[in-house]
Amino acid sequence: MQTTTAEFKIQFHPDYASIQFSAMASPCDLLVDSQDPELIEKLALASVQETKRIENKFSRYLSNNLCHAINQSCGQPVEIDEECFRLLEFANTCFELSDGLFDLTSGVLRKIWRFDGSDNIATQAQVEQMLPFIGWQKIHYTENHICVPEHMELDFGGIGKEYAVSKVAELALKLAPSNSVLVNFGGDIQVSQAKAKGQPWQVGIENPDFDQQTTKLIAIRQGSLATSGDSRRYLLCDGIRYSHILNPKTGWPVQGAPRAVTVAANQCIQAGCLATLALLNGENAEAFLQAQNIQYWCLR
Amino acid sequence: MQLKQFKQINGALAAASCALVTGQVQAESSLLDDWQVDTAVMYYGETDRVKALEAVVNVNKDFGENHIFNGKLVYDALTGASANGAVAQPDAQTFTRPSGKAEYTIKGGDTPLDDTFRDTRVQINGQWTQPLGQNNTVTGGLHVSSEYDYLSMAINAGFARDFNKKNTNLALSLSYAFDSIEPEGGIPVAFSEMVYRSDYQSETDFWQSFNATRQSSGDDTKDTLDVIFGLTQIINRRWLVQLNLGMSQVEGYLTDPFKVVSVVDEQGYSVRQLYESRPDSRQKENLYIGSKYHFDHSILDLSYRFSSDDWGIDSHTLESRWRYNLSEFDYIAPHVRFYKQSSADFYRPFLNQQESVPMFASADYRIGQMSAYTVGLKYGRKLKNGHQASVRLEYYHQAPENSGYSAPGVLTELDLYPSLSAVILQFGYRF
Amino acid sequence: MKHHMIKVGFILSIISLSGCASLGVQPWQRDLLAEPEMSVSANAVDLALDDHIYFSKEGSSGGRSFGGGGCGCN
Repeated sequence: MQTTTAEFKIQFHPDYASIQFSAMASPCDLLVDSQDPELIEKLALASVQETKRIENKFSRYLSNNLCHAINQSCGQPVEIDEECFRLLEFANTCFELSDGLFDLTSGVLRKIWRFDGSDNIATQAQVEQMLPFIGWQKIHYTENHICVPEHMELDFGGIGKEYAVSKVAELALKLAPSNSVLVNFGGDIQVSQAKAKGQPWQVGIENPDFDQQTTKLIAIRQGSLATSGDSRRYLLCDGIRYSHILNPKTGWPVQGAPRAVTVAANQCIQAGCLATLALLNGENAEAFLQAQNIQYWCLR
Repeated sequence: MQLKQFKQINGALAAASCALVTGQVQAESSLLDDWQVDTAVMYYGETDRVKALEAVVNVNKDFGENHIFNGKLVYDALTGASANGAVAQPDAQTFTRPSGKAEYTIKGGDTPLDDTFRDTRVQINGQWTQPLGQNNTVTGGLHVSSEYDYLSMAINAGFARDFNKKNTNLALSLSYAFDSIEPEGGIPVAFSEMVYRSDYQSETDFWQSFNATRQSSGDDTKDTLDVIFGLTQIINRRWLVQLNLGMSQVEGYLTDPFKVVSVVDEQGYSVRQLYESRPDSRQKENLYIGSKYHFDHSILDLSYRFSSDDWGIDSHTLESRWRYNLSEFDYIAPHVRFYKQSSADFYRPFLNQQESVPMFASADYRIGQMSAYTVGLKYGRKLKNGHQASVRLEYYHQAPENSGYSAPGVLTELDLYPSLSAVILQFGYRF
Repeated sequence: MKHHMIKVGFILSIISLSGCASLGVQPWQRDLLAEPEMSVSANAVDLALDDHIYFSKEGSSGGRSFGGGGCGCN
């Protein structure tokens, strides 16, 4: 049995139902241990709506949203809502906890770094031109307003998808309090709650290693998984491979980082942040993860 | 390859993530589930004096959303001797027991101790605490403590409010206690003279005189009102401070029915023993400042208390507990405490025969000038089953001091301010 | 007189503390403060046993919590 609308596709399987849609440049899947068509449709509608809402609000590719307003404000205060304030506070905590490695303002470096697999690396002069426009400490915000200096930008891309996964999982728990829902947005996964009988969900996630087009099957009972790293986005110059992870302090790609890091945590946003921070620690990624007392997988 | 030390940030990140997604602060869910029971057995032993054994069962139950019940049951048993207030003498002294039924004799040179000190006590407390609206907490409780000759009942209530994102907490707490005492042998008439069986020809004559030293009513009461105004302020992620201002008003029978004051002649010889007399009210004020600081592997708890009352006792207390985690599973906690008090205005180590008897007088060294210190060490360990066990050993030393009374004659040769040492050993178990 | 001094000092310190609304932490920075040992009521059993000893051996009591009546040991 299958229902397809313009926005989502529902399929019923022997012991679960799936909802598929596309958002945030990723395939989005929900798996629900229920056969109740009414519940599934309710979940599908709500999830699509919530995901699109977050995407429309925080995407930097749109020109009529809050993110755009903030980035085009030229130093003028922009009004923000409570959700935006919470995201800023979270980003602030990550910035402080990582001693400045996690920085929402580092997105401007993309203007000089294009990770297209070429040998087109930026020059130090170009990097130095951009550095004054990076630095979370230059952003001032209150519960109601934010001031972003001219030429600086915020990029929620690093946390937006994981945030959406966590929010949708939270929503799923409210709408289906007695079911387990697995939310999977392009490999960033969160389970709303464990299945009543405790069996794990089996999901295939794409192996991030480009050379092996394989799918890895993993079992997850509860909590979340997030993966950072993309082996398709890099630069290769004089035999050195430059990953797409940029150090906001130097403006240069981080060297010696694993190709991909997968982290398990309670919340997807938490796992995603830890995975990103691991990559930012370069060759010390494993040491960083080790100190966090969490489950992780590094692909080198 | 460089070896870099990474700090653990996952805990803070988890809390931040939870706050982001749910808009709420993560609850300490592991603590909410079950009853938490603390049990302890403590031995307290003074050299040659009081020995006590105290057992405590303390339960906490969270009924969800911070509706918390706390219940406590304490049992203690006390035996041994305690100073009766009389001065030491070069020769043996005989005293009539508070019951009047017997005598006891103290060797020359020794501090007079009444060795009939024996009591068991049971105490029960119940306390309910719950939120009231977004930022307020209310609490109320009952306390009953019962001994052979003493009963104390108290009620308390408190209101607290959080400000500034729960970083500041202001609390007002009140307690009212009603105590009644019915000592064996009745309540002595203030400054009446101790009578001795040997001075009378018949038992009837003795009892007639003994009863004349007793008030007609064999019991009396005491009311205590305590008010505490408290401020707790979080300074930063590692540091919080607490500030309390406490006031206590006590009315009623505040005298110790078992204590006497010696009247001595010009040579320092004791001529009679008078049952002590204290004022029937006392007002105390306290300032307490506490600080807790979290250094990743240890927590330092420092506090200072200044206390002052209208009896003239001012005291300073400085205390520190430092909990140092040896590993994930065990810790040690050294404890030190320094205490110093000035004497009550009516404290008199003895009365001189030639002076007139003052309005109030007590020779109880506990309201005289003294200093004291405690040193202790606690070791605690988390067991494999998740329970926690601890053992604590402490040494307490009290040094009563002369606050300026010159001792006549033979008293110069005697120790009028004997110091006291006690050992405290405690085992605790939490499950 | 002395008692009034205490009160004045106390009120002043309250004003200075509450005047610093910048003191404190965000809800998610409470990881260390949330540890049971950082609670002001941590070690309640030890503290109560100690209070009982010192109440019966010294002239002052209370401060951290109520110091009134309770038993006939003093």
